[in-house]
Amino acid sequence: MSESSKSKLSLKLNPSPTLQCKNLHEYLKSRTPQFLETLYNYPTICLAVYRELPELARHFVIRLLFVEQPVPQAVVASWVSQTHAKEQSKACEALSELSVWQEAPIPGGLPGWMLAQSFKKNLKVALLGGGRPWSMSSSLEPDGKARDIAFLDAYALERWECVLHYMVGSAQTEGISADAVRILLHAGLMTRDAEDGSAVITKAGFQFLLLSTAKQVWLFLQHYLHTAEKRSLSAAECLAFLYQLSFSTLGKDYSTEGMSNNMLVFLQHLREFGLVYQRKRKAGRFYPTRLALNITCVSDAAGPGPLLSAGQARGHLVLETNYRVYAYTHSSLQVALLGLFTELLYRFPNLVVGVLTRESVRQALRGGITADQIIHYLEQHSHPQMLKSESGGIRATSVLPPTVVDQIRLWEAERNRFTYTEGVVYNQFLSQADFTALRDYARAAGVLTWQSERTRTALVTRAGHDDVKRFWKRYNKT
Amino acid sequence: MVNVMKGVLVECDPAMKQFLLHLDETLALGRKFILQDLDETHLFISSDIVETLQARVDDLMDQLSIPVHDKGL
Repeated sequence: MSESSKSKLSLKLNPSPTLQCKNLHEYLKSRTPQFLETLYNYPTICLAVYRELPELARHFVIRLLFVEQPVPQAVVASWVSQTHAKEQSKACEALSELSVWQEAPIPGGLPGWMLAQSFKKNLKVALLGGGRPWSMSSSLEPDGKARDIAFLDAYALERWECVLHYMVGSAQTEGISADAVRILLHAGLMTRDAEDGSAVITKAGFQFLLLSTAKQVWLFLQHYLHTAEKRSLSAAECLAFLYQLSFSTLGKDYSTEGMSNNMLVFLQHLREFGLVYQRKRKAGRFYPTRLALNITCVSDAAGPGPLLSAGQARGHLVLETNYRVYAYTHSSLQVALLGLFTELLYRFPNLVVGVLTRESVRQALRGGITADQIIHYLEQHSHPQMLKSESGGIRATSVLPPTVVDQIRLWEAERNRFTYTEGVVYNQFLSQADFTALRDYARAAGVLTWQSERTRTALVTRAGHDDVKRFWKRYNKT
Repeated sequence: MVNVMKGVLVECDPAMKQFLLHLDETLALGRKFILQDLDETHLFISSDIVETLQARVDDLMDQLSIPVHDKGL
């Protein structure tokens, strides 16, 4: 088989990976220790990391914060009663993963724990004060044209929808910069069309659209940080600034004085995505919006409802047991999103009617959207009327009609009746001993996918084949 | 001596396995494609047929499904 067709095949065999939305902890875990080291030079990051730690880990950190020498691991273990050993090991793991503490030997040979120097120093600063004042905290004259929260919400929503709009391919390209497009491309949410070079949405992009706004922003920013280095911005500095923003107050203006040039560039990007509002580029002040404040709340998936209060807090979807969907909206973005998995029937000025069909849902599933994502989206945007309508006797866990929810899941399940795994079969062994030797070797290497002792057949993954083949040659010589 | 074959392992429910056996026997895809019948829920097939097979199974599913709701025209 030629190389190209092989790669095509393996692509098809593996169901498209679902879009991963890492929270801060997972994101930092995937970074290098050196990067973390630089991050811990910023008190805001230390505080944010501290807040995201498991409860027990926070407890450990506080107990160790003012200890200037390594503490024996046995002592740390003794702080927790044996019945909670599991939580304790989880907490220790979290602290090690994020290099919040390191192993340090204690004179006498006992293994000990020691908080990372920079983390310790800067968490103290964050908790107790001290250090340099935050650059954006310098005092400002009252803004002559102060903006209220409602205005900021509307602004953030409009800017962010601009990005989403661009993704669903509404031909309008104004209001989105080449930089933003580059990030979308880099993130794999969009890809260049082979023919005319225009950006088109990918499978991952479809999944992205159905995430909650807070998750979208965070995912987008993660990719922004990945590409930040190329734009001679320091990812650590950007992240620190983001977290500084997330600790700020909604509706209050902050000064740009004392910010480095790099950060001013970063601020302009944030302004484009609607994370901050600035009246003029040179205004010298900016307002963080809800989008920026909420980046720390990504982790709780079931959070306190949709985070953008402005246009989205009140859902607009009514789903009936006859699979019809009524959407009270005039936003073409909402309509485009709905169109991803429903067949649209009618369109009125403030109402769109669609129907969930097997075909339309399968279309979405083929696009890499999962049934759970569809259901979650419908749930999240349910019209308040949906919440009321089923208040009598039987109240399912979901506000959606159970028949429809089940059917969507069935449609998904029917596509997964087969799993394909590329592999290599070994059979017609001469003796049981030969078979057992090969099988045990493959199993130990973790490449055995199926075996039958009766027929002396073993199945090895394609990746493990070469290794097993070499083993078999060695085995036969001896 | 040991016999080595490359291909694709298919895992499915017994009913679908019978459907695949049927396709194989009746040469519905133009040729035989099952290399080895492993057990109730596993088959080993040649890898170049997978694409055709998936389309065929999709067809079957389409035939099996009946639209349950009218579009209320």
